[in-house]
Amino acid sequence: MDSIIETLKYSGTTAQAIGVSIFGLIGVFATLGLFFVLILAANKVGGKKRGD
Amino acid sequence: MQDVFIGFTSITWQMCVMYAVGAALIWLAIKKEYEPMLLLPIGFGAILVNLPLSVVWEHEGTAGFLKILYDGGIANELFPILIFIAVGAMIDFGPLFKSPYMIFFGAAAQFGIFATMIIATLLGFDLKTAASIGIIGAADGPTAIYVANKFAKDFIGPISVAAYSYMSMVPLIQPPVIKALTTKEERRIHMVYHEANVPKWLKICFPIVVTMIAGFVAPISVPLIGSLMFGNLIRESGVLERLSKTAQNELAYLVTLLLGITIGSSMRADKFLNVQTLLILVMGLVAFVFDTVGGVLFAKFINLFLPKDKKINPMIGACGISAFPMSARVIQKMANDEEKGNIILMQAISANVSGQIGSIIAGGMILAFVPLIAR
Repeated sequence: MDSIIETLKYSGTTAQAIGVSIFGLIGVFATLGLFFVLILAANKVGGKKRGD
Repeated sequence: MQDVFIGFTSITWQMCVMYAVGAALIWLAIKKEYEPMLLLPIGFGAILVNLPLSVVWEHEGTAGFLKILYDGGIANELFPILIFIAVGAMIDFGPLFKSPYMIFFGAAAQFGIFATMIIATLLGFDLKTAASIGIIGAADGPTAIYVANKFAKDFIGPISVAAYSYMSMVPLIQPPVIKALTTKEERRIHMVYHEANVPKWLKICFPIVVTMIAGFVAPISVPLIGSLMFGNLIRESGVLERLSKTAQNELAYLVTLLLGITIGSSMRADKFLNVQTLLILVMGLVAFVFDTVGGVLFAKFINLFLPKDKKINPMIGACGISAFPMSARVIQKMANDEEKGNIILMQAISANVSGQIGSIIAGGMILAFVPLIAR
């Protein structure tokens, strides 16, 4: 990760923008993916509680 | 004698152009009802700040009231944060809990932010300015202002105007893009919505947990996501009804009023009238189009793996932008126009509230990565 960032630092502006885009999109999907897992887990727990 | 007429003698053609720009924004607000709560104050602020001597901004070394508001509300990011508290109090995440997979559309529809950032660098903008232009695609005024204030203070006027103008034009921008990318059959896909009560504890825990996770993943996004989720916690707690209503009404209206006129004051002729402003306005439109493309194509991609009876109406993908609740309404109207009685509103709202979170996270990612890389 650090080496990619170091490389991007000395790249052209468009290459930097592409780098930010790739990292950014991965970050957004990963973060929202985490929320997805949490909601799923919470729904499961909630469903069980209602079942009890 | 010259001093008496200084108001007339200091008028420049650039000021006159800005009066026309201000008048156009006020016209759009009143006649077309495009985001009137914002475009009207922005338009009037643009006229005020371009009057001779610009007394409302600064005169003879003394700050005018608009500069005081700017320093106290925009430069220190207070207004966007307060707006987010109000927005959080307005959002019901309930539909998202019932269709949690919709959250991914809130990520896919941020594609426009990044695509536009790349295009902006090709047009000669530096990385920080390009990122600020791309964030117009967040379809979320406060996030756009927040990022632009950090990276491109000189362009905060055109970026804000573009963000709010295109948000109000979602009913005009999204339908042709969606129609170009989908078939009639796809737009007629029905989706089943299961009614179920969401437990209160889940609604209360959600804003707290989301804030904490966002704080771990992208700490710089905490002011934005934290204020949004604080507003939502007030709403869902069930014991702060008056505060919730105050946030949704008085706070929202008051801050919007001040935000609008203060943004207008950033539209001084010497900073606004240049080729970059025109490019930013065009790029803003590009961002909204690519957001829609990203969301719709992502839905179509997911459909490749779903059985025939479980397919997603790909129009839902377009709701992943943050323009809440306008985008959801537009998509529901399109679904109904394609086939009377096709109700996909709740799924559309799920994707739309996800877009609200997604746009803030995307803003956080940009705030985190750009300073690491930009020279």
